[in-house]
Amino acid sequence: MWRIGVDIGGTFTDVAVIDEGGSAIGLAKTATTQDDFSRGVMEGLRDALSRHEIVPSEVSLLAHATTVVTNALLEEKGARAALVTTRGFRDVLELRRSARAALYDLFQDPPSVLIPRHRRLEVSERVSARGEIVTPLDREDAERIIGQLRAMDVEAVAITLLFSFLNDSHERALGKMIRDALPHLKVYLSCEILPEVQEFERTSTTAVCAYVGPLLDSYLSELQDATERLGLPKLRVMGSAGGVVDVPEALRMPAAIVESGPAAGVMAARLMGQQTGRETLLSFDMGGTTAKACLILDGKVETTAEYEVGGSGNQNRWLHGTGHAIRVPVIDLAEVSAGGGSIAWLDRAGALQVGPHSAGADPGPACYGRGGDHPTVTDANLVLGYLDGASLLGGQMDIDKQASIQALTDRIATPLGQTPREAAAAILRIVNHSMAEALRIVSVERGHDPRQFGLIAFGGAGPLHAAALAEELDMPEVIVPPIPGGFSALGLVGSDIRRDYARTLYADLASLEPGEAEAIWQEMEADGRAMLQQTGIDENRWSVQRSAGLRYSRQAYELDVPYDQARSTTEGFDALAKAFHDVHQQTYGHHNPNEPVHLMTLRLTVTGALPPLELRQDSTTGMDSLKGRRTVWFERTGEVDCAIHDRARMQPGETITGPAVVESYDSTIVVPPGWKAVNDERGCICMERRT
Amino acid sequence: MTNTSTQGPAMTSGTDPATFTIIRNSLLKATEEMKIVLAKTAFSPVLKVAGDYSCGIFDAKGRMVAQGPDLPVHLGSMPVAVTAVARAFDGDIHDGDIFIHNDPYQGGTHLPDVNVVTPAFHEGRLLGFACLRAHWPDVGGDTPGSYGTVTSIFGEGLRLPPVRLYSKGQPQRDVHAIITANVRTPDERMGDLNAQVAANTRACTRLGALAERYGTDLLIAVMEDILDYSEKLMRMRLAELPDGDAVFEDWLDGDGILEKGQTSDEVIHIRMRLEKSGQDIRVDFDGSAAKVAGPINAPLAVTASGVYCAFKMIIDPDNLIPANSGAWRAISIAAPEGSVVNAEYPSPVVYANTEMSHRVCDMVFGAAAAFWPRNVMACSQGTSGVVTFGGSDPSSGRSYVSYEVVKGGMGARPGKDGINAICAGIANTMNTPVEIVELSFPLRVERYEIVEDSGGPGQFRGGLGVRRSWRVLGGQSNATVCFERTIAPPFGVCGGDDAAPAMVRVVDPEGRETPLNSKQSVALAPGWIVDVIAPGGGGYGPVGDRDPAAIQRDLRENYISAESARSAYSAGPDAS
Repeated sequence: MWRIGVDIGGTFTDVAVIDEGGSAIGLAKTATTQDDFSRGVMEGLRDALSRHEIVPSEVSLLAHATTVVTNALLEEKGARAALVTTRGFRDVLELRRSARAALYDLFQDPPSVLIPRHRRLEVSERVSARGEIVTPLDREDAERIIGQLRAMDVEAVAITLLFSFLNDSHERALGKMIRDALPHLKVYLSCEILPEVQEFERTSTTAVCAYVGPLLDSYLSELQDATERLGLPKLRVMGSAGGVVDVPEALRMPAAIVESGPAAGVMAARLMGQQTGRETLLSFDMGGTTAKACLILDGKVETTAEYEVGGSGNQNRWLHGTGHAIRVPVIDLAEVSAGGGSIAWLDRAGALQVGPHSAGADPGPACYGRGGDHPTVTDANLVLGYLDGASLLGGQMDIDKQASIQALTDRIATPLGQTPREAAAAILRIVNHSMAEALRIVSVERGHDPRQFGLIAFGGAGPLHAAALAEELDMPEVIVPPIPGGFSALGLVGSDIRRDYARTLYADLASLEPGEAEAIWQEMEADGRAMLQQTGIDENRWSVQRSAGLRYSRQAYELDVPYDQARSTTEGFDALAKAFHDVHQQTYGHHNPNEPVHLMTLRLTVTGALPPLELRQDSTTGMDSLKGRRTVWFERTGEVDCAIHDRARMQPGETITGPAVVESYDSTIVVPPGWKAVNDERGCICMERRT
Repeated sequence: MTNTSTQGPAMTSGTDPATFTIIRNSLLKATEEMKIVLAKTAFSPVLKVAGDYSCGIFDAKGRMVAQGPDLPVHLGSMPVAVTAVARAFDGDIHDGDIFIHNDPYQGGTHLPDVNVVTPAFHEGRLLGFACLRAHWPDVGGDTPGSYGTVTSIFGEGLRLPPVRLYSKGQPQRDVHAIITANVRTPDERMGDLNAQVAANTRACTRLGALAERYGTDLLIAVMEDILDYSEKLMRMRLAELPDGDAVFEDWLDGDGILEKGQTSDEVIHIRMRLEKSGQDIRVDFDGSAAKVAGPINAPLAVTASGVYCAFKMIIDPDNLIPANSGAWRAISIAAPEGSVVNAEYPSPVVYANTEMSHRVCDMVFGAAAAFWPRNVMACSQGTSGVVTFGGSDPSSGRSYVSYEVVKGGMGARPGKDGINAICAGIANTMNTPVEIVELSFPLRVERYEIVEDSGGPGQFRGGLGVRRSWRVLGGQSNATVCFERTIAPPFGVCGGDDAAPAMVRVVDPEGRETPLNSKQSVALAPGWIVDVIAPGGGGYGPVGDRDPAAIQRDLRENYISAESARSAYSAGPDAS
């Protein structure tokens, strides 16, 4: 049987196929079709099926990572939606959290408001902070709203009433009235989307669902029809939390698939870690414009519920108001604006800076010869010899190294009184440092020592910088997977079926009646088991993980702490409180065992594990991997005559001693002096420091 | 990305360009990490959800080298506060010491802003300091929230000069005891204080790691270079802007103190002269009112923060110049001693931090509009809109203090309307979610909405203001408001009109409204409502030049009323 993963990127749509028995990996790349993503997906699928001679009936899993949701938000191409709120609160979406994104930018614009004011309606009703009804739902008001919705000709409506996470009766009653009267409308209730405290975040998440839901529905429905016509199994979609869900679940909760692609990359890293016996890793994904870091601890990937789509939330971690807030679990990535296209420049006082501006693909780095005359990180790599004209983009493109030197000389080296090589080295030191900061954020800042971790590097540019980053953070080992440029698609075939549940239960942990929590957890679990039942995954591969969002009673942010017992008991909750104190100490460097612990959110994740894969490398051609030599500069040694290897010709077990460069179709691996690289039996290149 | 230098930043450290940039970035990252630790572990809503605090790293002399993405209002005063610690304990600062102080007469802003200052050492040498300034919702005094209309600093609460909170790693229990005895909700304050201490520890650890990696001497030298670098960038940009000289005058609503027989507050006159010549700026407050009885006297460092914030926005909207002590060397500020913009001991000061700093910042834009019309915005909401409640929660028996700020509109800009309902100028705090307010305190928020017609008309309209109302639910509550712009509304610039003024009032359970003074404390029985409007921003450019399509959009969205479209914009409902 085969598994297929399809990942839509900005330039290419990658289709990864893997043989469950033999575990051979294949990758097909087709151009992404921006006008209609599904066309490129179908082309890639047909191509992959025919190239690997796969009969559709022999495919057990078809999983997809899509950017449809994110694009709709970024390009403001979502549905005509309406919002209904408690009277007095229709502006909640526009009031946001009141902080501005850029402190000193006189000319900044706030993120767009997904639902304009004239489509935001109010209903008379009120639930108190104890969940009691203060003002009953006004049925006449509701009828009036239905009339307005009809007149506005909207496609979707979001309903968020205050404290619906404590008492959802008004939201459900209003939702039912609207659904009955206007059955063509997509109705999203905040108590179903996000039964959690904080009205802005709950409203924003629900509004995002209403805004992208209709578009996602038509996209996924069409794609599902098309793949079924090919005879492929039911389509699944990668969620932001790193598990795949079925199409109905994706449509129920569209906000949960915004980080589909990056999540797939991290899940690929986790899969590769498991394959090679490494359960604790930092993953590092570097492309043309951004670099992303993520922590994989004991085979688990952390998620966060603080996220803004289309913003710079991951980069400016503490500036709110850069994008649309969604509060569903998203793989906890740290992101920096640093990639191959990042432009190096001197500011007015002559200080050297790298990024955040990127030359992108067009005009691209100076060496592309498309009119870019700003030196980029790629130009610096070329000048130092890490990249080569013949290897960049598989040698399909004319590379003008002289243009790199010229750009570096004119804009950096001459003003600073340096040689172009010194300028290039300085650029790499700066960009490596800022990418190392992203790795620091997910490790050191959370109380984990990166010296205990392996670094798994992918994305087109990841393997080029990985060893330098490992040195910066004193990490012992770097793993470069096969096909690092199309690695994310591999994550799709190795991810388990998963669904996350969360519900606010606002209670003092010490005095909480265990039965109250148990009832909520069991309700979630029953729903999750019903979902897994439909997947056909054998029941002995199911798992259920309970956890609790806890904080000291007067804090504002929770830490998610696993609850490992099968049933809710007072003793179990005591142990949970103790675990919370420990996690708090580890994360923030202090704790307060005398302070009451407060429960905010009960969470539950059900997972249906797919049968494990056994990845192996395809047989190689048996030729010597050494393909030439060129001059390469390293900080420790200066210029050296360096061996250049062809990755495709490396034998299993072959060891290369640095300094060396290993080239392949989709990326280049730098092995600095003091490092050695081993090609393992799965086709991973594992680098270790010799000293 | 133009290059006007031939040899990099003036480097006394002699370090290479990459190391300079890496250390500069690392220091900034360290302040971000402080922010994370504080926000995620503090106890009071004003810190954990509203974000009313600033994180900074300072050199051994107390000069600010890096400020986190925090509050501009702390730009000018934090260095003075850290310098006060460095001076008070000169030669007597040890590894493991932690200092605390909140004295407005030693670089503090007002008593609720509490500075925790931690020295960073490497191999026995003092590298510098981390300082975390956090707004505590209460520091004692007669009024819950410490925002009362008093006439002396002694009425404003607990005043701590620089003292040791920890000595060589040992907590100073006597100091802790003095603090807990003088604040209303001591266990909550200790939660906040622990978070401040932990955040500073993070920054000091990172400073130590930088010294380990690059050497103590080099780190200290680069910190010096970073200050020179900011100064250089600032002066280069100033040199390109035209020279000018303008005077701007404005009036504050009052100090909150009603003399016997008075029924309304007396306005307070502020006069600012702004001169720009070559690479230098001089701001002179000569002619401003003398000190007043109520707590709106601004320490000079608070006045300076407002000035610095405005110039940072005018000169460096892309935020390329690190906001540190070096950046302000090109700006000199003169304010008569004992005036309302240069407080004299023991004048009360608590309102000035939020109100005078806004005022001074807006006035810089107003003055600079005369010669830099393309670089300024109209007056923003011009008030922090503070509303506090305090009392005893009948359901828990615990005393509570709620401190909130209400954000109105941003001033209109050349080419753009002002942003609705956002922090502008010196502040950048977040609102407190309605559901968090109601879960935390015996209050119910009845309304939180954008106010039609509140933005100043103009070619570009001011951002809209915001209305918020709270009903007292259980037990008597002491409510305090501190507002500005209830009398003198946010002004327009370059021909734009003024915004509508702020409004503060109480409403009894029968719905009868009583206006409040802009700064007032009242005891409210259950069922009473505090109802406020934080104003919108002023307009930019003549209203006659407004794009008709923008007027129709504003009408459709109820940003303006049909009445206002006719009277202010001379436009009818859409005829097309």
